[in-house]
Amino acid sequence: MASIVSAVMSSVGRKILMSLTGLVMFGFVIGHMVGNLQLLTGGGDVFNRYAHFLIGLGGLLILAELVLLMSLLVHIWTAVNIVRGKRAARPVSYGKSGSAGAPSRKTFASSTMIYTGVLILVFLVIHIKSFKYGPAEAEGYVTTVDGVEMRDLHRLVIETFQQPEWVIGYAIAMIALGIHLSHAFWSAFQSLGLYHHRYTPIVYNVGRLLAFVIALGFFVIPIWIYYFGAA
Amino acid sequence: MLLDAKIPDGPIEQKWDNRKSELKLVNPANKRRYNVIVVGTGLAGASAAASLAEMGYNVQSFCIQDSPRRAHSIAAQGGINAAKNYPNDGDSIWRLFYDTVKGGDYRSREANVYRLAQLSNNIIDQCVAQGVPFARDYGGLLANRSFGGAQVSRTFYARGQTGQQLLLGAYSALMRQVDAGRVDLHSRFEMLDVVVDEGKARGIVGRNLVTGEIERYVGDAVILATGGYGAVFFLSTNAVNSNVTAAWRAHKRGACFANPCYTQIHPTCIPVSGDHQSKLTLMSESLRNDGRVWVPKEKGDKRPPDQIPEDERDYYLERRYPSFGNLVPRDVASRNAKAVCDEGRGVGQTGLSVYLDFADAIDRMGEQVIRERYGNLFEMYERITGENPYSGPMRIYPAVHYTMGGLWVDYNLMSTIPGLFVLGEANFSDHGANRLGASALMQGLCDGYFVIPYAIGDYLAGHSFSELDTRADAFEASHREVESRLDALLAVNGDKTVGNYHKELGLLMWEYVGMERSEEGLTKVLSEIPALREEFWQNVKVPGANSHFNKNLEMAGRVADFLELGELMARDALERSESCGGHFRAESQTEEGEALRKDDEFSFVSAWEFNGVGETPTLHQEPLEFQNVKLTQRSYK
Amino acid sequence: MTLNLHIWRQEGPDRPGKLVPYKAEDVNRDMSLLEMLDVVNQDLIKRGEDPIEFDSDCREGICGMCSLVINGVAHGPLNGTATCQLHMRHYRDGDSITIEPWRSQAFPVVRDLVTDRSSFDRIVQAGGYISINTGNAPEANALPISKVDADLAMDAAACIGCGACVAACPNASASLFTAAKISQFASLPQGQPERSERALRMVDQMDEEGFGNCSNHGECEAVCPKEISISTIASMKRDYVKAALTV
Repeated sequence: MASIVSAVMSSVGRKILMSLTGLVMFGFVIGHMVGNLQLLTGGGDVFNRYAHFLIGLGGLLILAELVLLMSLLVHIWTAVNIVRGKRAARPVSYGKSGSAGAPSRKTFASSTMIYTGVLILVFLVIHIKSFKYGPAEAEGYVTTVDGVEMRDLHRLVIETFQQPEWVIGYAIAMIALGIHLSHAFWSAFQSLGLYHHRYTPIVYNVGRLLAFVIALGFFVIPIWIYYFGAA
Repeated sequence: MLLDAKIPDGPIEQKWDNRKSELKLVNPANKRRYNVIVVGTGLAGASAAASLAEMGYNVQSFCIQDSPRRAHSIAAQGGINAAKNYPNDGDSIWRLFYDTVKGGDYRSREANVYRLAQLSNNIIDQCVAQGVPFARDYGGLLANRSFGGAQVSRTFYARGQTGQQLLLGAYSALMRQVDAGRVDLHSRFEMLDVVVDEGKARGIVGRNLVTGEIERYVGDAVILATGGYGAVFFLSTNAVNSNVTAAWRAHKRGACFANPCYTQIHPTCIPVSGDHQSKLTLMSESLRNDGRVWVPKEKGDKRPPDQIPEDERDYYLERRYPSFGNLVPRDVASRNAKAVCDEGRGVGQTGLSVYLDFADAIDRMGEQVIRERYGNLFEMYERITGENPYSGPMRIYPAVHYTMGGLWVDYNLMSTIPGLFVLGEANFSDHGANRLGASALMQGLCDGYFVIPYAIGDYLAGHSFSELDTRADAFEASHREVESRLDALLAVNGDKTVGNYHKELGLLMWEYVGMERSEEGLTKVLSEIPALREEFWQNVKVPGANSHFNKNLEMAGRVADFLELGELMARDALERSESCGGHFRAESQTEEGEALRKDDEFSFVSAWEFNGVGETPTLHQEPLEFQNVKLTQRSYK
Repeated sequence: MTLNLHIWRQEGPDRPGKLVPYKAEDVNRDMSLLEMLDVVNQDLIKRGEDPIEFDSDCREGICGMCSLVINGVAHGPLNGTATCQLHMRHYRDGDSITIEPWRSQAFPVVRDLVTDRSSFDRIVQAGGYISINTGNAPEANALPISKVDADLAMDAAACIGCGACVAACPNASASLFTAAKISQFASLPQGQPERSERALRMVDQMDEEGFGNCSNHGECEAVCPKEISISTIASMKRDYVKAALTV
């Protein structure tokens, strides 16, 4: 047991934590994006019904939220640790920096993980505050779908994205997310020790593609709403 | 001084067994009471230090590099010989022994060479067990190749990095003992003196290369495994830090230096490109299997190679040696290259190179086959020269590669200073006047893994040692000498750099004590070297101080020693007025221009005793007796 | 050609350092970069200045002694090449070259461009070996090893221990070095008995020396003179996890 604890705290263990928590959040982000795309289809009912269904999961939802929150906290903790370790490991930085080029996978994305990560975190706080804990039934955001009374989250979203500053803020956050994920996906596999000379290049490219698709998926929603309003 | 080689009795096959049975042993519980100093961490030093520590001795290990793993054994490319006879092609311990004695041109000790051949197989076993990734065939068993013109395939290899892999094996064994607390490791330390007390080697004094401090270490025996002295030529395939200093300072304390004139020149090196050159790079001589060596027939023909028609080319090795052609031994190929260049037919900007042409081989087998065989060498060539060897011929020139001479040792590897053992290239013992390809690694590891562990026990058990600490008079005196020499180097503050002197010495050595030596040239250089040494001590400029990392100060001490060694090499070469192996005397050749040995006069080891700088050293002779091998004159016609 | 050099000068481990400009004149294109520095040093010495200290030994790319970060890239612009094999023909007249030491807390600067890499030795001491005493070895061919495994082991064993992986890593991680040794032995049957303990101890030692984390930039692989793959790092991680869960 002692060896497991020290293993988790080791450089290898921390990165495994980071990749596992990252993958959990990655899975969530995909689901979230697919769910949100319902904003662009069939009026507000589809989306509101979906949101109401999630709330109806009750304990299961709380469990999922707890898992996500834990993942987030561990992910942040390991990230802070890695950045601090990095500073300590190289107290004097290079006067001139460069990259050796291929086969290096050092990119803008890989070098800015902490910055894109912080941006996403800030976004996350605002995002949760404005929607999950934003105005609800009490504030008059109520609708009835199939005879059931529920929160009109759809209206809140539409109203929010009528404001250009929110659209721009969201767009920036989603670009940051895309950049973050373009390094994160393959990196998670590598940190878990999953490398294969044939499959890793595939994983690498699939990761970049997924990152692009996810960012794009999230990105189009506010833009679409801003220009076209509710569908 | 009487040189007693202490060769064991009995038939040659039993000599080593006989010796082992008569050696005294150190009780296992007593081993930890003995301190052994091992200087150098190449194949010989690392394997010795690790093996002795495993046995229970307290070992102190020293190297000049920042890590023991960087010793120059690491650069050996080709392979390591052993008499395993896996290919079933007729190899045996006897044949390896015979080939080595013959290859050494009958100037080595039969008994030592036989032991080397016997132990060669254990080395392979040991290295495989350590995880050395030797090349294997598809059945999973070890692969062998023929090397250096041997008629059997007895060479084990790990790509072109055999030396590296064997050294990392020995290094890992050494690191294991450091981890176990049995070895104290001292990197970036240069031994500058061996301390002799009551007639026995009892310690070393040297410089901490980081702080400049002079440090003293006491022990019950001292092992030198500090490599060869090829860097006396300045340009050689040795590393830039390779030096003779440890061995030379031991020589000055009473260890005889044997056969200093035996140097090996390797024919297939990348030629010098200009004055700035700091070292020469060797390419495996396997290149000569498919490459054809030529120069233009006309002197001073400066046309590019592709514009010289076939009938105006001189494939001089094929012409002179119809049966061996381009595969003549190293020394023959080297000498011929120098000869054609001296005639003014050399190629390249400097005129100091010959072509090694693969055009015919590429026509015959296709570029792909050549790429598979020599791809890495071609790439290395292109990297260094910027020329593409697939589209035009390579240029090659010989370079100093290995030194067979070294400190004299008896069969137990002990020098003429009791308690001072010398291993690997630093001793003279096994290669006679010429070393066969893939035998250097074999000898280094044999000495370190399998000979010294026995020999040292006999010495330690057979002597009593007085309590000695580093404040003893012998240490004080040595410390003072070392310090004053360093101070003296710094105090000159002249006009020329250490590098200037090293280059000048190298040119003298190459010209007069290189591939071909003559009485006239040697006599001349015997006055020029002391003059250069004199000048060095009056006009060298060593920057900085003793109190910090100072590469130029390190080099200054080494060059100062080379300036003494060079003289001894020339003297030894002059004294030996025969040609043998790597030592070619112009006066001693056959009508065809081949090396001519004079067995009646020179069947002995020359062991020189130091009498002071500038003083004529005393020559001691250890006669060589050949009871098992019949002496023949080689012929490659 | 003439080159504008900016070279890191630092008198000792605890002294501040700085980039100092030098002009290298009459540089021959066939020189190696180290030979160019040799020539600059000869001039400095003659002018009574302290020469630039840098490490080098074999000058044929195998000993791992040379260690310069050239224009921000460890061992310079050529892939699969150590500093000592970099020739000046890759530069043009008037080029600027910045030369710095390996920068890592675990590689303290000794002087100028010379660093202390003994942390690598200590990582190897923590298990980078197979415990076999001299004389105990079985017959070499008693244990067949598939050519694939032997080749894989050799790919990893080619490491020259130069430390470029650390120098190039944005986090100054020693993962590639440590992994190369662990995976070499993991590929071989001789390495199996100590496989778990080796992975645990070597990784722990690597951490203790103060190297950074691996963030999978892969810059190490790109600067490695022996082009060792980061697949070895994945292999190390697998071994480490397995060991942590079972030992």
